[in-house]
Amino acid sequence: MKPITRTAFFSNFSVALNGIVLLMFASLLAQPSLLGKPGPAPQQTQKLTASAIQLERSDPPEDLLIPEDTRVATYENVILQLTKTQKFQHVYRSGDRTAASVPDLVILRVIPQAFKAGSQKQREVTTVSGATSMKVKIQFVSRDGKVLREKIVEGKVRFYGENLRATYDLAKKVAAVVNETF
Amino acid sequence: MTVGSAQFNPEMSSKQRKIVRRSLQLAAIGVVFVATAGSAFSQQLGTPQASQTTSIPHVKCVIGLENIKANSKGTLSLLPNGLEFATGKNKVDISTASIQDIFTGQESRQDVSGPAGTVAKAGIPYGGGRIVSLFSHNVEVLTVEYVDSNGGFHGTVFVLSPGKATVLKNQLVAQGAKVTNHVQPPPQGEKP
Repeated sequence: MKPITRTAFFSNFSVALNGIVLLMFASLLAQPSLLGKPGPAPQQTQKLTASAIQLERSDPPEDLLIPEDTRVATYENVILQLTKTQKFQHVYRSGDRTAASVPDLVILRVIPQAFKAGSQKQREVTTVSGATSMKVKIQFVSRDGKVLREKIVEGKVRFYGENLRATYDLAKKVAAVVNETF
Repeated sequence: MTVGSAQFNPEMSSKQRKIVRRSLQLAAIGVVFVATAGSAFSQQLGTPQASQTTSIPHVKCVIGLENIKANSKGTLSLLPNGLEFATGKNKVDISTASIQDIFTGQESRQDVSGPAGTVAKAGIPYGGGRIVSLFSHNVEVLTVEYVDSNGGFHGTVFVLSPGKATVLKNQLVAQGAKVTNHVQPPPQGEKP
C-alpha cells in the first residue's frame, strides 16, 4: 500500500472538514426554530399562583348526553393528573368542605362541550374510523367567581384502546394546561 | 372399630359366617358412605348462608378507588353496610350511606386486548389481527358515586359480567343507597 503524502493528507483533511461544516449547517437549517422560521412566541400571559386547587364537577348542557362512566372517569383522571403535576400543596375534590379555609384557592371547572362515542372494534378493524373524542372547556376560577383563564381541550382515542382511554388523554392535556398556567 | 372382631357362634356353618361377615362389611361401607354424604350435604346447605354477602370475583376496577391501581382485578362484595373491593393486597369499602348515585350500563370489550393482545394482533400476517378484533364479549359497567367524610365527591367504575351490576345495584338500593332517575344516552351498537 502506497504511503499517503503530506499534501494528499491535508487535501483529504480539508475535504472532510468542509463536509462536516456543511452537515452542521444543514442540520441547523433543519431546525426551524433556531435559524429558519421563528419559534413559538414567548408567553405574554403571567403565570397564576395558588397553593391549592379544587376540581368542580360541572354538568354538561342539556342536549349533550355523556355516559356517566365517562364523566366519572374524566373527573377521577383529572384528579390524578392534577396531583401528578405537583403544582399545588393540595388538590381538593368537588364538594370538599375543608377547601373553604384555603385563602388562595383556585377552582378548576371542566365543562363538557362535545362528546362522540366511537367503537373500539371499529377502530381496530378499520384503523381510520371509530375514534372516541370528548371536548371540554376548562376554566380556572378564583374564589369570588372571576374567570382567570380558560381553554378548550380535546381528548381522543384514535387507534387502540378502550373508549375510556379518551378520558385519560383529556386529563393529560388538562394537566399540560395546568403546567403552563401555574 | 370393632366391626372386624365380632364374636361368632362356633356352631355357625362357614356359609353363615360368610354371610354375617359380608353383611358387616356392607354395613361398614354404608356407615362410611352416609358420613361422607352427610358432610357434603351439610356443605351444600352452608353455601347459601355464606353467599348472603354477595361476592363477585374477577371484577375490574377501572378507576376511582384510593390505594387501588387503575384497571386492577379483584373481588367485589356486597356487605350488610355497603360495597367492598378487595385485591390481593388492598381492600376498600364504600358505605351505603355515602353513596350518592349508582349507574349501570351495557358495553362490550374486545376478547383480545391490552398491550400484549395488541402486539399479538399486529404480529398476525395478512391483516389477521383485524379478524381477531371482530371477536368481543358483553360486559356490564357499574358506576358508583359517593362522598368521603369531608363531602368530597368520588366516583368509581367497575366492569362485571353481564347481569351482575344490575343485581348489585338493586341490592344496594334495598340497603338504602340513593339513586336518581337517569336519562340514558341512546344505546350504541359497539360502544367501548
